[in-house]
Amino acid sequence: MKYSYGIMDRNRIILYKPQLFIKTNDLLVFPSKDFHKWHGDLKEYIDGLYQINSINMEKGKSININELNLATGLLSNITEELQNLFDPERTPDFHYQYVSTLDDEYTKRRVHCYTSDMMKCDMRIPVKPGITPWQKHHNMMEIIDHAARELTMARRKKQKKLTDLID
Amino acid sequence: MRMSEAIPHGRIAELYNPEMFRNYDEVIVFTKEEFNRTYRSMTEQIDYIQKVEMHLDRSEQWKLIGYWTKILERINILDLNINLMLKKEPMQCYLDAYLYNTIKSSKNKVAASPRKIPTQSKLNI
Repeated sequence: MKYSYGIMDRNRIILYKPQLFIKTNDLLVFPSKDFHKWHGDLKEYIDGLYQINSINMEKGKSININELNLATGLLSNITEELQNLFDPERTPDFHYQYVSTLDDEYTKRRVHCYTSDMMKCDMRIPVKPGITPWQKHHNMMEIIDHAARELTMARRKKQKKLTDLID
Repeated sequence: MRMSEAIPHGRIAELYNPEMFRNYDEVIVFTKEEFNRTYRSMTEQIDYIQKVEMHLDRSEQWKLIGYWTKILERINILDLNINLMLKKEPMQCYLDAYLYNTIKSSKNKVAASPRKIPTQSKLNI
């Protein structure tokens, strides 16, 4: 994104890189220290979300409700920060500044994202129109055939045993 | 945060609200359009994640991991957007955010003009 720093001088701003804004007529101006603090805060929340993910994915555990609730909490914090950006009453707390130390590896996107678990969520099992009477009949005939085969094999074994005994 | 809109005039930017800033304050200046796009994209990702969380059934634990990967995709886009704000490269991901957005038409009925101008009289052919 095109951005430039500037300095406030007698009710107007002197831009350090005016060449970026030749073609635009609308600019947004924020105090730079406040903006960097805001940016750091958002980065902190997003890194927190990645950390929730990395703890689970490393050990191969699945995510559970508590972690999801944590993520929801972080998201509401992010929403609040986004709203605070345009609230002139809010002054940022300069007691600390977050610098992201999260390795790029944790924020890499997985290439083949559609896992079997996602498929389970998306799969819809058709119940009502799926099973036709022919299918029911066919299924019954299969079971009967299988049972008949089992019966004949059992009979043959029994007969064989009897004949062996007699002999 | 104190904020103002401005108009560039060569090396100088004229502020709409100069009372927001004190003299010798260092400021950071963005183009309104790009910032708007990034900010909107971020709010959209958050809306989507919140909708997913509202609709998922918390009693079905085994489904959670599938939803989590979808949420994580959106968190990724959120991360890209926030990084983009302080990068000097041109924006690439805004297209992803806007691809599936449809602008819904307003349901307000447009009032008919009280004066009905006959079209025949206006054609000079």
